[in-house]
Amino acid sequence: MLEIDALSKRYGAVRALDGASFTARRGRLVGFLGPNGAGKTTTMRCIFGLATPDSGTTRWDGAAIDANTRLRFGYMPEQRGLYPRMRVAEQLSYFGQHHGLSRSGARRKSGEWLERFGLADRAKSKLEDLSHGNQQRVQLATALVHDPELLVLDEPFSGLDPIGIATMAEVLRERARAGVGVVFSSHQLDLVEEVCEDVVIISRGRVVAEGAIEELKSRSGRRHLDVEVAGSGGAWLDGTNHHTVLERDGDRVKLLVDETVDLDGLLRTARAAGEVRRFSYEPPKLSELFMEAVNAPQPQQPDGPVLEAIP
Amino acid sequence: MSRWRAIRLVAGREIIERGRSRGYVLSLVFTVVLMGVGFIVPSLLIGQASQTRVALIAETPPGLAQALDATAAAFDQVIVVSTVPDGAAADEALRAGSVDAALAVPADGSSAGQLLVLEDAPSALQAIVNQAVISVRAGPAASEAPTVIPLEPPKAEDETALIFANAGIILMFIGIFSYGSWVLTGVVEEKQSRVVEVVLSTVRPRDLLMGKVLGIGLLALAQLVVLVAVGLTLSQLLGRLTLPTTTPGAVVQLLIWFILGFAFYSTTMGFLGSLASRIEEASTASMPVTLTATTAYILSLVVVTGDPDGLLARVMTFLPPSAPMVVPLRTALGAIEPWEVILSMALMIATIYVLFVVGARVYSGAVLQTGGRIKLRDAWRASR
Repeated sequence: MLEIDALSKRYGAVRALDGASFTARRGRLVGFLGPNGAGKTTTMRCIFGLATPDSGTTRWDGAAIDANTRLRFGYMPEQRGLYPRMRVAEQLSYFGQHHGLSRSGARRKSGEWLERFGLADRAKSKLEDLSHGNQQRVQLATALVHDPELLVLDEPFSGLDPIGIATMAEVLRERARAGVGVVFSSHQLDLVEEVCEDVVIISRGRVVAEGAIEELKSRSGRRHLDVEVAGSGGAWLDGTNHHTVLERDGDRVKLLVDETVDLDGLLRTARAAGEVRRFSYEPPKLSELFMEAVNAPQPQQPDGPVLEAIP
Repeated sequence: MSRWRAIRLVAGREIIERGRSRGYVLSLVFTVVLMGVGFIVPSLLIGQASQTRVALIAETPPGLAQALDATAAAFDQVIVVSTVPDGAAADEALRAGSVDAALAVPADGSSAGQLLVLEDAPSALQAIVNQAVISVRAGPAASEAPTVIPLEPPKAEDETALIFANAGIILMFIGIFSYGSWVLTGVVEEKQSRVVEVVLSTVRPRDLLMGKVLGIGLLALAQLVVLVAVGLTLSQLLGRLTLPTTTPGAVVQLLIWFILGFAFYSTTMGFLGSLASRIEEASTASMPVTLTATTAYILSLVVVTGDPDGLLARVMTFLPPSAPMVVPLRTALGAIEPWEVILSMALMIATIYVLFVVGARVYSGAVLQTGGRIKLRDAWRASR
């Protein structure tokens, strides 16, 4: 289990992290969400020792993360990059060896991953001669080559085509099933909702929501009600209350209601007005939870403003 | 994983990736060829175009002149033989430059006699004279060769020492710069291609810098060793230079100082390179080092060569940027005290250590930052 405990980090006047804490369990796909500049990349850099937090700790399986622990992690930074003129297989094997694999073990592993991504015939090509999509695959293979216990990926889905997205999601699911911890950041909330079990939402350096997506949804207390009553023109609503009308479109109305709402009562009123063709009651989408969590008022910052930019 | 393993991996990658690059192989072949041509062409020209004038002193065994002619012809050389009445006349002719050598052999052939020269006898001339003398004496003791007696031996030694020392520091300067700039561009390229973040997720910044300097340094050293070996071998084979007695010490020191000089300059270039974000900014970032090194180089060539015992030479001996050029130069000229060498090396090693600690911290602070040039002070502060 990955534990991030009260991480704080400032860059000059910029407060990148302000006591961020969360956990990510092995075997679960964890989406790490937040607006630009919220502290996602800084958190990841702290995990990999690329940034030193001013305070707070990072732990893996209960022990503080150090250089040796990191050898068992795989990292894919937001700014992709490998050696452009180095051959693909040698490149993978080089990074495998840096993670502690023997020379022959690293060679075997890099062969396996290239095979897996359909790049076996490009093993001897220079990286720069590969297409953009294939370079992305090699980048992912670099993070995977040593069979890491924890995968941390910064925006792994950005810039991928639908096939690339499907492959990436499949590999991440498979790794999670194998008991690996998988944490990745993304702005594609619908994709996260589909792929992930858990999410962590960070805003202005603090974690504002954390947990299983289903649980966060049911905990939110808000529900969407989508009702269509034939020939009513939505007039049946006029005598009811305890809801907010989000949209009105002829016979169809979309409402925001509290989970304590009297559904039966509403349904009865609707039926009385005509034939009910649609009556769907659903929890909010992840994107709404996200907006809600991020826009919630923040506790007063004692020293200085929080800026957006992260170096 | 041990830090040494990480350093070795980084160094190994540099050696394999750069060592098999066309640039390295070509530059190695090119410099070896250039050096070969530099040694062979002049000796071919001398061998063919000029003639050697030999004066026979007083009475010599009959047929010696003809024997010299014949032997010279066999060697594809031309020898013009003249006669002088005595040793004093031979001396005068040698000093005046009207003859290249004077040969005195007793008329009865009782000894092999003497070959007088001004500074030293070209090996081709020696071989011809030896063979001719042996052929005319044709007795039991005939295999003896005439003794070579130079009139002014020390001057020759000085000149070759100087040539050698100058060649040494030119090689040193070129080596440090061409390979030091590899460290510089290597650091910037890693930054520009963003691969550095992946690398640094397992390798400490200091180890990455150290591995890079080590790997590229070994390639540079390999080239220097090949060049020095080829140069020494050719000079011996062709008999162009008589190596001064200070040679072995000077060669060893040249190699040691090359290592120290390379470590000093390439570490500096490496961490200054980390302050740049793009390859175009790299030369600006490394400007201070380039200027310092060029100044030290020019001063070494101009001032120290002329006055190896002077005050400036002594001061420059103890300054790390100039020591790698000045110390081997003074050693080759035989104008340095052992304690100066030892103290200078100690200062150099201490400086390199400090530079590494400071440089690695700047490097750590700067290497993950992008967007324009980074200030030295900011990089220092960013790394904690």
